[in-house]
Amino acid sequence: MIYLGGVVAVAMRCSRWISVTVSFLSVAAFDFFCVPPYLTFAVSDYQYVFTFTGMLVVALVISTQTARLRDHAVHSAVREARTEALYRLSSKLAGETRVFEAARAAAALAEEVFGARVVMFLPEDGKLSFRRRTSDLLPVPPSEESIAQWVFDHGHKAGLRTDAHSDATALYLPLRGARETFGVLAVLPDPQNRIFAPEQQHLLEVFAGQTALAIERTLSQRSAEETRVHMRTEQMRSSLLSAMSHDLRTPLASITGAASTLRSQGDRLPPETKRELLESISDESDRLSRLVGNLLDMTRFESGGVELRRDLYPLEEIVGTVLHRMEPQLVGRAVSTGLAENLPSEDLPIMVFVDDVLLGQVLWNLLENAAKYTPPGSPLELAAFKQEDAVVIEVRDRGPGVPPGEEERIFEKFYRGQSRKVPENVRGAGLGLPICRAIVQAHRGTIQALAREGGGTIFRIALPIESA
Amino acid sequence: MKPLILLIEDDAQIRRFLRAALDAEGYRLQETVTAEEGLAQAASRQPDLILLDLGLPDRDGLEVIQKVREWGKIPILVLSARGQEKDKIAALDLGADDYVAKPFAVGELLARIRAALRRSIARADGTGPVMRFGPVEVDLEKRVVRVDAQEVHLTPNEYKLLQVLIQHAGKVLTQRQLLNEVWGPQHTEQAQYLRVYIAQLRRKLERNPARPKYLQTEPGVGYRLVPEE
Repeated sequence: MIYLGGVVAVAMRCSRWISVTVSFLSVAAFDFFCVPPYLTFAVSDYQYVFTFTGMLVVALVISTQTARLRDHAVHSAVREARTEALYRLSSKLAGETRVFEAARAAAALAEEVFGARVVMFLPEDGKLSFRRRTSDLLPVPPSEESIAQWVFDHGHKAGLRTDAHSDATALYLPLRGARETFGVLAVLPDPQNRIFAPEQQHLLEVFAGQTALAIERTLSQRSAEETRVHMRTEQMRSSLLSAMSHDLRTPLASITGAASTLRSQGDRLPPETKRELLESISDESDRLSRLVGNLLDMTRFESGGVELRRDLYPLEEIVGTVLHRMEPQLVGRAVSTGLAENLPSEDLPIMVFVDDVLLGQVLWNLLENAAKYTPPGSPLELAAFKQEDAVVIEVRDRGPGVPPGEEERIFEKFYRGQSRKVPENVRGAGLGLPICRAIVQAHRGTIQALAREGGGTIFRIALPIESA
Repeated sequence: MKPLILLIEDDAQIRRFLRAALDAEGYRLQETVTAEEGLAQAASRQPDLILLDLGLPDRDGLEVIQKVREWGKIPILVLSARGQEKDKIAALDLGADDYVAKPFAVGELLARIRAALRRSIARADGTGPVMRFGPVEVDLEKRVVRVDAQEVHLTPNEYKLLQVLIQHAGKVLTQRQLLNEVWGPQHTEQAQYLRVYIAQLRRKLERNPARPKYLQTEPGVGYRLVPEE
């Protein structure tokens, strides 16, 4: 039994052939030392022949089994290392949205896993280039660019210990995705040439495949993003068209209708009806004029055709002009102005470095909106105060407020979410606020809509204080 | 005799409704389509007022103003497109009396025409010694300004500015014109002075300087004293 223990011990450490030899030796030793006549291989009782055969069979079985177990353990360790390497690769690549960065991360990980120098080459204008490489160093001679190009074109590996170009300094593997090849991985042999073991070769190929898939995914994400942007542009264009055709046609239809009624039936209409028709022609013309004005302004802003004519102005002058022009729309409303809320009243007025006409237009649009979207007679406030580095101007109302979540969107072109409850004839084209934002941003300021305590909205403009 | 208005405008539709509106007000009207024709008519018929469209087919409307001002003081009222402040300023600096931006309501145009005609008659008579608007009373002989019968102290430049505005009451004055008259020709680029002085005048004369009734701003162009009320 002791002999059999020795056989197991040997089989656990050494190869199968050694353990088989040890099995035979142990039987021989048993014969030599423990079977009479002692110290010879001769056997007196041939009953021992059965014993020897039995012992030998047991020893052989044990040694073979033990060796197999050991192989298995080694195998799973290798498999585990491989799984771990691939897991690390995929987690590294998962968050990467740039092709080059994905390749660089994969190459760095490959160097660590394989203990060899690894470089990846990516194409430039459809042709593989050694210039677009993941490492600053070029560990392969530039003359091998043609081998890499061949690998890129054919999607087969080449270089050291392969069928093609076996005299090259490196092994070249294609980064092959589902549809195309995205680059080439070059690996230089490590000192022990472990890289050429079948196990490592296989892992290397899986590695290259995973990297290619990651690049493929990155590219498709990017094209999806481009498609989204394109779709938004298209959407804008179509909403512009629908806004144009709807908003321009509606007042035109009223004007044409009223005018033609007056022309063909004017004699038979009661004076009251005539007056109403005339009023509608006049009102709708005003509306049309505003719409065309807004569209022209927006177009001018978008084409960059607006030149700011900035100068120092007392804020109250700009406010006063706007309020004066708006008087007809503000009838019956209390409009309070606090233009220096944190300054003593005898001080000089707040001066702002702006284009007076354009800032006036911003205030006009904000007040016009307030007049349209808040109940008639509800109070409005125009306030301004100085902060350390900005002049803040606020238009405050006591209307229904901007629905939560729409505070940003109302500054987008043609967005009219908040006008759902507003009657058709007071709606605009959804251009007033976008124009405000364009103007304020041209002054390097900000504009935002805030919910007001106690109900209502505050439109806040902050203009950075700049010297003239 | 009813005042004669010379209209220089190339658009037939606009001529059509202006004809109707001016007829209804009892003005006599002379219509012309080109600058050339307009200048000829202005010289031969000596109208009481010229209504001038700046966008004429044959010549720049600004040239018409220049030519007319070479020989006379006929009030000129300019019809301009919206947003073209440069043109408005140029027209006013060349001597136009006022402007109306297209599209405009006829009521506004008629009010401007009346004001311009009144000014040209008043100019012939000379301004009276005391000017009143709202709570403000300016005695131009004694150089005393009162608001609600209380004397208000103005600095010499403030008074000079007010005086220029009163002389041209109802008319838009460009920043350049005001600076030139109050501070002299070498200060015509310093519009900030002017704005601060206007702000001070409003504080002294207006009930709410942020909503001025009399000292009104024409954005991007200049100022106007509106003495109505």
